[in-house]
Amino acid sequence: MTELDPVIHAQARLRVVASLSALPDSDQVTFPRLQEILGMTAGNLSVHLRRLEEAGYVAVTKTHRGRTPVTLIALTRRGRLAFEEYTEAIRALLASADAKETS
Amino acid sequence: MIADDDLPPEDPAAALRLIDEQRATAARQFEPDPRAYYWPWGLAWLIGFGLHFLYYSPGDTPLVEMPSWLPLTVLFVLLAAAGAVSAVAGARAYGQVTGESARRGAWYGWSWGLGFLTLFVLAGRLSDSLPPDLVGLLWSALAVGLTGILHMAGGAIWLDRPLFLLGVWITVVNLLGTIAGPGWHALIVAVAGGGGMLLAGLLGWLRRRGRR
Repeated sequence: MTELDPVIHAQARLRVVASLSALPDSDQVTFPRLQEILGMTAGNLSVHLRRLEEAGYVAVTKTHRGRTPVTLIALTRRGRLAFEEYTEAIRALLASADAKETS
Repeated sequence: MIADDDLPPEDPAAALRLIDEQRATAARQFEPDPRAYYWPWGLAWLIGFGLHFLYYSPGDTPLVEMPSWLPLTVLFVLLAAAGAVSAVAGARAYGQVTGESARRGAWYGWSWGLGFLTLFVLAGRLSDSLPPDLVGLLWSALAVGLTGILHMAGGAIWLDRPLFLLGVWITVVNLLGTIAGPGWHALIVAVAGGGGMLLAGLLGWLRRRGRR
């Protein structure tokens, strides 16, 4: 496979990005909720989020709700775009594979 | 060290499958279960307005004898229960999400609250000067009418066609019932309105399962 975004092209991070893409554009989800949806351990999710954050695909906001600290996560515009491009690339690969089989 | 889940998907087909499944799972988590959202209201209308019809029947005598406080008490208890169930379902889906959709939800909630406050004050002012059967019609037609219109507004806010159509349906049912008059209004709202909500919950649930 050529030129697939290496940040997203890993099962765990693809799942993280795909889940976040289901949120409306300007919404954020709390860390525990995201963890619950993905069924990952907190440590594992943190590692992948850091990698996505370094790439500028995910924004992690630390804030407070009352006195309890809350970590909020959302896809950045750049992350959404990268995910769309990745999905397009995958579709194109599938389409060209189909074309080869039928020809 | 590379963890297992750091590996790329096996092939493009696997990647696409993973994307679709994960998006569907997440979307399901971010919306409340339509059954929890619609069925309690549908049942409350069906039973509550049903009792209302049996007691405040179109003729002069009740179809079924019961204590006079029963129909309204049952209706309000069931409506309160429905409100609690859908609030819990909504909190589970939306509680861990913040941003524009949380604000939309909160403002929409305020519209319901202020709408019903207006209705209570207005109908309360008018109730003393109307005959009992018209008082019942006034309260229920205003409440059902407001519910229908707020469902339509909700459909417009979230571009949710089933929600909008349910609002149109409730509004039409309410208009027809109001024209038919006291007693009949309760029957029509119980069967067509309550039934419409039960159906909306069922259709929403089936649609959601279809996405899996």
